Amino acid sequence: MSIRYVANFYDGLTSKPQEAFVQLREPGSLEVEVDGDRFFWPLEHGGMEWERTATTLRITFGEHPRKVIIIRDKLFIATFVKRMQYAGRRGVYDRTLSLARQGPALFFLALVAIVVVGYVWVLPFSAERLAMLLPTQVDERIGDASYGSIMLGLDEDTEASAVLQQFGDRLELSDKFDLRFHYVNSDQVNAFAMPGGDIVVFSGIVQGMDRPEQLAALLAHEATHVDERHSTRMIVRQMAGYLFLSLLVGDVNAVVGVLAENADNLRNMSYSRGLETDADQHGMERMAAAGVDPEGMVHLLEQLDREAGDMPEALAFLSSHPLTEERIAKARARVPELPATGQADPELARLFEALKARAEEELPVQVPAE
Amino acid sequence: MGGKVSLRYVSAVPISSLPKPVPMELLTPRKRLAFTGQGGDLFAVLIVNWLLTFITLGLYYPWAKARRLQYMYEHSELDSHPFHFHGTGKEMFKGFIKAVGLFVVIYAVFFGLVMVQELWAIVVGYLFFMGAFIGLIPLIIHGSYRYRMSRSSWRGIHFGYRGQLKELYAICIRDGLLTLITFGIYGAWFQMNLRNYVVSNIRFGNSQFAYKGDGLDFFLMNLKGYFLSIFTLGIYSFWWQRDIFAYYVNNLSWNFSDGRRIQFKSTATGGGFFELIIVNFFLVVFTFGIGLAWAHVRMMKFVMENIEMAGDADLDAIVQTELEHKSATADELGDLLDVDIFL
Repeated sequence: MSIRYVANFYDGLTSKPQEAFVQLREPGSLEVEVDGDRFFWPLEHGGMEWERTATTLRITFGEHPRKVIIIRDKLFIATFVKRMQYAGRRGVYDRTLSLARQGPALFFLALVAIVVVGYVWVLPFSAERLAMLLPTQVDERIGDASYGSIMLGLDEDTEASAVLQQFGDRLELSDKFDLRFHYVNSDQVNAFAMPGGDIVVFSGIVQGMDRPEQLAALLAHEATHVDERHSTRMIVRQMAGYLFLSLLVGDVNAVVGVLAENADNLRNMSYSRGLETDADQHGMERMAAAGVDPEGMVHLLEQLDREAGDMPEALAFLSSHPLTEERIAKARARVPELPATGQADPELARLFEALKARAEEELPVQVPAE
Repeated sequence: MGGKVSLRYVSAVPISSLPKPVPMELLTPRKRLAFTGQGGDLFAVLIVNWLLTFITLGLYYPWAKARRLQYMYEHSELDSHPFHFHGTGKEMFKGFIKAVGLFVVIYAVFFGLVMVQELWAIVVGYLFFMGAFIGLIPLIIHGSYRYRMSRSSWRGIHFGYRGQLKELYAICIRDGLLTLITFGIYGAWFQMNLRNYVVSNIRFGNSQFAYKGDGLDFFLMNLKGYFLSIFTLGIYSFWWQRDIFAYYVNNLSWNFSDGRRIQFKSTATGGGFFELIIVNFFLVVFTFGIGLAWAHVRMMKFVMENIEMAGDADLDAIVQTELEHKSATADELGDLLDVDIFL
């Protein structure tokens, strides 16, 4: 004979709480006694549902409006839950929740460890894999989408662009993409590549060059960005990072969200600096393959370093100034590892001189006769 | 106890069967709401939610939300009887899918138009985008209330929302335009009209809630709060918060079918809000969000303990009416958007 327990009973028809007595009856039913009436609720019945919280057990039965019993007796709850779990399966959720209840601190630390591992190793690895699975047309689409609006504010010199194109074509810098070179009149010491193959060179950067290898190095550097799909990889990584963080702090407040976002930006910045070094190093390989002396990269970086030196102190701190030195050192170390190149291509020199003259004097470009 | 007494026979009715005078203690406001949750327990719920949401790349979110709401409801009590949330993750997941589909369509149209790269298309694209989102707000409010109310119960009696979507749109369009042309001043009236409509359409069995807010009062209260907060470098904002809370609570009543009612009354003070907000802020910020569960519990306790109820209504006499509450499943859209717009 099992013991009767006191419970709250709601009949689902009115809000009046009634006192009920419950006890488990074998085989498999719950006896409920309300106001002198007795009901037997079969435990395996589809119409019976139960939920347990930290302090209460709630059992409901029947069609809507359901009858509800709420029991607070710990012993009854334990017996009932054990009986039900013996009959059915215990969910993953309940198991995890009881783990979290038993050792909240340990549980939390384990989670933190998983997150850190995920963020530092799993996330970058899978983002790179995903980026590489995307067809190269994706790069072209991204490039096309931004090309119009970027070129809108720039003054392209189409004749010089044609010369630059000849220069670039001789180097055969990419086998995946059709590289299109653009020469832009501007004092800025700048050049950039867009995903898909558009490479923009500013006259300001050409002005400071004194040999064709520097221009070759610049194009090789930018072509590496295109060919190795740095933008797409960066975008996928950023999106993955963003997804990861929004999952991570989704339910947490805005302050933590901002902190996390900034931390992620720092990580992206360091990744993008890594990509610059990559473009230097692999660009040098491309130069060597095209028969251009890879030392040109060292000269190019030194030139940029000198020109960046004119920047105000405060800006220099934010820029990649000290990092340029690191890049120079790395490029210099790479030179002897690459195969020696033969005679310099005179055609490259001729094209370079034409562009250089154009940049310095802003005269119509003179294409030397072959 | 109070049966109906026809006036003609009053003299013939023995004194003892006349309606008894209402005991004074029922008319004196007293605390009847309580929150019994604990930070540690809520933390366990939240961290498991978080873990499962994370490893399922967010797909678990609706289930997590159901777990969280179940915890919050189960530990909210009226007269020592807990509320209950009946919603399930599966239901909310369906709403989630619908909402995602809707957003995909809106974004697709927007990007389609912007891609045309012509001025008219871009302008139309932006207008469509803004219009679509603003136009969805009444639908979201309506859906959220229908869903949430039908899934809430106390002592086995279900809540329900009886507002009409058409009427809600009428209010939002009319007041939205007025707010626009008055540069936001009419916003106070808008908020009150919306609240009056929505809250007054909440049913609980055969009883119903009513909210009677006045745009002008609400506007003046906010105007005062705004300027005093500026003059006191923000210190007054806690007292402003107190006034807003009091305005929401004190204008709320709960009316029963026998004509009796319960009036709600706020006892929150500016100092109370000051302590709640400052401590919660530190609890969350200095623990990088770990203290969120404890902050949440503090807030719930504060809210529940600062609402008093006065009235002679019989809380045992409410009759179940939301018999077809299951039909509300069509409207879960709002819940996904996770607008806890509970006014």
